[in-house]
Amino acid sequence: MPVLRAALIAVLLLLPLPALAYDILVLQSLHEKGYDEAVRGARRGSNATMRTLVLSDYVETDITRIIREEHPRVIIAVGERALAVAEKARNVPVLYMMALNPRIRQGVTGVAMLLDPSRYLSVFNSMGVQKVGVIYDPNRSGAYLRRAQFAARRAGIELITREVRVPKETPAVLESLRGKVEALWMIPDVTAVSPASTEAYFLFSQSQGVPVVTFAEVYLSMGGAVSLGIDRYDIGKQVGEMAESLLAGTPIDELPPQSPRKALTRTNDGVLRRLKISGTGG
Amino acid sequence: MKKSSRISSYLKSFSFRLYLIFSATIALLTAAFALVYVITESHGYRTTLEREGKLMATILAQNARLPLFAENRDALSLMAADTVRHSSVIEVSIKSAEGQLLTEARSRKEKVGETIDMEVPITSPGQMLSPEAALLGRPPSGENRVIGQVHLRLDTSGVRDQLNNLLIASLAIGTLFWIMVSLLCYQILKRATGSFKLLLAGIEEIGSGHLSTRVDLPGDDELARSANAINAMAASLELRELENLSLQEELLKAMKLEVQEEKKRVMARLIQTNKMTSLGLLLSSMAHEINNPNASIRFSGHMISKIWADVVPLLDRVREEEGDFYLGGVPFKTARTALSENAAKIVENSERIARVVQGLREYGVGDGSRLRPNLNVNDAVTAALSVLACQMKQNIQLKTSLGTDLPVIVGSQQQIEQVLINLIMNAMQALPNACGEVGVVTRFDQKSNEVVVEVQDSGIGIGAETMERLFEPFFSTKLDRGGSGLGLYISQFIVAEHGGRLLLVSEPGQGTLARVLLPAKAADASLGEVVAAKDHQHVADAIHEAR
Ligand SMILES: Nc1ncnc2c1ncn2[C@@H]1O[C@H](COP(=O)(O)OP(=O)(O)O)[C@@H](O)[C@H]1O
Ligand SMILES: [Mg+2]
Repeated sequence: MPVLRAALIAVLLLLPLPALAYDILVLQSLHEKGYDEAVRGARRGSNATMRTLVLSDYVETDITRIIREEHPRVIIAVGERALAVAEKARNVPVLYMMALNPRIRQGVTGVAMLLDPSRYLSVFNSMGVQKVGVIYDPNRSGAYLRRAQFAARRAGIELITREVRVPKETPAVLESLRGKVEALWMIPDVTAVSPASTEAYFLFSQSQGVPVVTFAEVYLSMGGAVSLGIDRYDIGKQVGEMAESLLAGTPIDELPPQSPRKALTRTNDGVLRRLKISGTGG
Repeated sequence: MKKSSRISSYLKSFSFRLYLIFSATIALLTAAFALVYVITESHGYRTTLEREGKLMATILAQNARLPLFAENRDALSLMAADTVRHSSVIEVSIKSAEGQLLTEARSRKEKVGETIDMEVPITSPGQMLSPEAALLGRPPSGENRVIGQVHLRLDTSGVRDQLNNLLIASLAIGTLFWIMVSLLCYQILKRATGSFKLLLAGIEEIGSGHLSTRVDLPGDDELARSANAINAMAASLELRELENLSLQEELLKAMKLEVQEEKKRVMARLIQTNKMTSLGLLLSSMAHEINNPNASIRFSGHMISKIWADVVPLLDRVREEEGDFYLGGVPFKTARTALSENAAKIVENSERIARVVQGLREYGVGDGSRLRPNLNVNDAVTAALSVLACQMKQNIQLKTSLGTDLPVIVGSQQQIEQVLINLIMNAMQALPNACGEVGVVTRFDQKSNEVVVEVQDSGIGIGAETMERLFEPFFSTKLDRGGSGLGLYISQFIVAEHGGRLLLVSEPGQGTLARVLLPAKAADASLGEVVAAKDHQHVADAIHEAR
């Protein structure tokens, strides 16, 4: 009998798994802790059946074939690359998450990676600063910054913006803000904040005595004063809920892209103390 | 000369060798220490310089990170210029990761010394994340990315200068140290070997035979103890030597005595032999020759007196009867007593002859060394001549002149006789063809208080060569004619035994004079004997030593 069972298992293992019917195809750009977290959130947010594919495990054509053959009702793209692949399936609604600069098209919606600017502005308000320096690449963060400008005007904060086109400009551009700002707002712009230039923000902060408000907790250890970070699990949950409503029949056009609804505020008390700033709003 | 020899002996000395070894060892050690010190220090200087350079380059790399990223050449050249202001830096250059030279600075000094090149990469810190990664919560990788390179050229001539200074300083200190320690060593060695030398000197002194020398070393160290041991040794040696000396003396004395005794015995035997050879045969034959006729003479005498005694009554009767008559031309009355007297004389004289012969026999056999306290030399001469009487050839004229009032001497008559017989025999044998004159003279020399006996011959005389060897035993020119070579040897011995001297004066062809000088007996007899005994001893010694 054990021989028979072993043979059965072998056969089952050797046979290609038959495609099971499911509702949501989760396309994950790569194996990444942050993506996994978000996917876990999505599963929490939706009760629909899901199949998860990690792009790095497949050739791209296979993915397209799988999408074509298995007809998922919704695709959740995790990461920018997954979004780019998912967009090729024209007739399937795509929800994105964990994409920094998603290109919004017809039939594509999701949850951005950037918190709403007003959240940052309220932090500045609570710190009592008016002139806030921002460096950005108009090609990447132009839209976000327009929203930010708008919100700032309402919040009574003057955003002193500098544009950079290539990462190496950042240190020089930062220099030009010398003496002109009371705080620095570090936005997740790949051009403005490159690994090599990140340091420059904190050096500036140190020499000018102005706090840096940043977007991830990791920068606090480098000298950031306050970080407003995203909750990847919650973003996943948010997307899961959107998928749920899509499956429930809501047309995708009625679901606009959303900002993360939850922000994680962290402060570096040492830096704040040194800069003599108190009372950060959360 | 003396100084140089002293120096050379010092160079060979133990203390100098010790000193040499010590100072050489110290020099070696000092040199080794100095060398190790200099090497370590130079290494240290170099590594310090390298570390300093590395540190500078690292700081520069750190500071240049942002300007390099921003391609801010002005800021980079400012930094490079800042760095190049350091004394040890000659050249600074910063390159991008692609190898593009971004800035370069050179110090103005144009030193062509040794240089060290130092390259430090400029890295962007790995903890810096891209915004996306930060949002995804990716942990910092810690992987540094090289974005450029800082190149420093350092001048090591400073190191060499420092090294030279160090070398000179350590050389000077080392030399100073060496000199000081050497001096100290010298002092210590001098003190240490001082007692050593003292000991050595003592040992040498003792070794050269001065056993009474003592090494005086105070203290209780090994040297002092060995000095004590040597002293003890010397003392025991001294004692031993003294003992040896006395033993030797005793032995010598004993040997001397024994030799004297032995010599006396030998001489006695020799004398005997000589006597026997020269006279013994003669005497015994003579005694025989004499005894036989003498016996018949005595017998005849006896017979005559016996017969006469028987004849006298008859002749008395005849005279009574016939009256007086003559016998041999004398009246019987006279002849009667004369005959018996003559017969008695015959017997008496023959007995006397027998006694003389007996005496001669005793001379040949008996012990002749018996001393007579008052020996008349003339008696000895007469006896000698009577012994020699039958040896006298007819062609030899013997002239004797015996001194009257000769004082007596202490001595053995037989021995003196023997001397005289020897001398007279030699004289007679020296006469060519047994024909010539032999004179015997005795007299008293008052000046020297000696009795002188001279035997003079008109013989062949004595040559110089023979003269030298006269008194050697067994030296003879007459071995073929029965000479023994002992005559003069023994004679001289006997004369010396009597405290006298024997001299021979001769020229070849001029005859020979043999003179015996014998000391006359002193006035006090008993004292004289003591003196004689003493002399005896003394003379024997003299002979012994002369040999
Ligand atoms: N009166 C003398 N005249 C010449 N020569 C003599 C005389 N007396 C001794 N001599 C020499 O001295 C030698 C030694 O003498 P001596 O001792 O008596 O030994 P010997 O008579 O047995 O040879 C003789 O052989 C002889 O040559
Ligand atoms: Mg002779």
